[in-house]
Order: sequence, then C-alpha cells, then structure tokens
Amino acid sequence: MNVLEALEKELIKVPLESSEKYAIIRELVDVAARAKGYDGDALLDAILARERLGSTGIGNGIAIPHAKSDAVDKLTMVIGISRIPVDFESIDNQKARIFFLVIAPSKEASAHVELLASIARSCASGIFRRMLEQAKDADEVIQLFMD
Amino acid sequence: MTALMYAIKLAKEHQAHATVVYVVNTKALSDLVKSGIFVAVERDEYQRDLYEDADRHLRHARHLAEEKGVEIDTVKLEGSVHVVVKELVKNLGADLLILGGISDIRSRRDELASETDRMMRTAPCPVLVVRDDDDIWDEFER
Repeated sequence: MNVLEALEKELIKVPLESSEKYAIIRELVDVAARAKGYDGDALLDAILARERLGSTGIGNGIAIPHAKSDAVDKLTMVIGISRIPVDFESIDNQKARIFFLVIAPSKEASAHVELLASIARSCASGIFRRMLEQAKDADEVIQLFMD
Repeated sequence: MTALMYAIKLAKEHQAHATVVYVVNTKALSDLVKSGIFVAVERDEYQRDLYEDADRHLRHARHLAEEKGVEIDTVKLEGSVHVVVKELVKNLGADLLILGGISDIRSRRDELASETDRMMRTAPCPVLVVRDDDDIWDEFER
C-alpha cells in the first residue's frame, strides 16, 4: 500500500482550522469519522495512546499521528495542511504544517508499515514539502502525489 | 493473492514445483525508526504483527495449494524485500519469478521505490507479473 492507493479526496482537509497539536489531531480524526462513519472517540483514544509514547512530529514540518485500531475496517489516511505552523513537539523543534493521520486495523500491519514508509519517502524532498504546504485544496494535494 | 493463485495454477498445469515466499520487511521497520515515525517499542510490536501476518498468508497459500492438489514449499524471510528475494531465487535456481502487487496508479516517486519494480529489475531469472484481475479468481475456481 502506498500513498496514492490510500488517497481519498474526502479524507483531505485544506486548510486545517486548528492551531494547536491536540486540536489538530481531533480535527483530523473528525474528518475520518465523518467521512467513513467511524467511532471518533475510539480513534482519538488510539492516536493519543500512541502519541504518549513520543511525538509523531518527525521534523521538517511534518507530523504523522498514527495507530492501530479496530474501529476502522480498512487502512485509512487523512491528510491535513495547515496555513499556520503548529507546535507538534517535533524532534527537530520545527513547527509542522503537513499532517498525515494513519489508522489501520490490527490485521493490516504489513500494509500499515508500507504506507508509513511511502509517506516518509514521498516527503523526503524539500521541494515537494514546500509545494504541499502551498496546496490550495484537496485536488492540488492529490495532483502533487500523482506527479 | 492473484500472483499466488496464478502460480498454483501454473505449477499444476506444468507439473512444476512452486516455492511461495513471504518477506517480513524489517528494512522498512528500521527505516521508520530512523525517520522518527516509530519508537523502538512500536517497532517490536509491529515486527511481531508482521511475523503473524506472514504465518497467516503462508498458511493460506498452503491451503489454496492443497485445494488444487499442488505441493508447494513455503519460505518466510526477513530483510529488504528485493534483496532477499533475489538471493532466494539464486539459491533455488528458480526458472521463473511470479510477482503481484502491481497497481494501476503509480507516481514516478513511488515507481522508484516500489519493491515489485526492484524485484522485476534485479531478478536473475525471467519474471511474470500478475495483475490484480478478477479473471484470475474465476480461473482459479474452475
């Protein structure tokens, strides 16, 4: 499973409205819950439990909050872009603007790992990250990954 | 799945011997720790999950092969997928590598990193790529 296979327009929010770490997580979870009918509280609990092990702000302005949860029936990825840099307690102390929320059912460990690796690869390029930060809407985000 | 079914069918039709391999991608896990996405305790948990995934898939492969009366070997490996598959193909002296996992949409970025693409390019034998196609399911059921 790579980013392109997981991309869904209804799971992309540009721009995000929140400006604080936990509000951003809640907003991303809400996108998944509303679009797919998932139990938002269960998703939030799983994501926050993972976040307690250490911040998923991986540096370079990117955060990838993720978790395993059987509250989803398939591997689900939400992308959010914030206009305001958000303190996500990232490892490089840089504020984040690009967010990938990834939630996988416990039986899809392999696809989950592949997707996270694909996100990391996609965002390795500084030029790509800057273009993503500038994306105006979901269509532009999809196009950037397709190119 | 389609590659597995195709391989079993092919082995039956040609009385060939098939080896089904599942690679636990420990390279990807290490990369996720290095990039800060996984913490160590998480890597260990996912590694256990991936081994369970591997066992489940290989059990299923044996079950499908038995259904068709085909004898197969199953191999569980770990590491970087294209590297260990290449080694296995060499060691077995296999005359055909059958791959699945080709999807319709691909970006240039992902093409460069796809394990399937790398296996196609580096395999020391002919490669057959099986698309994820409903026809194969129908054919397998026949």
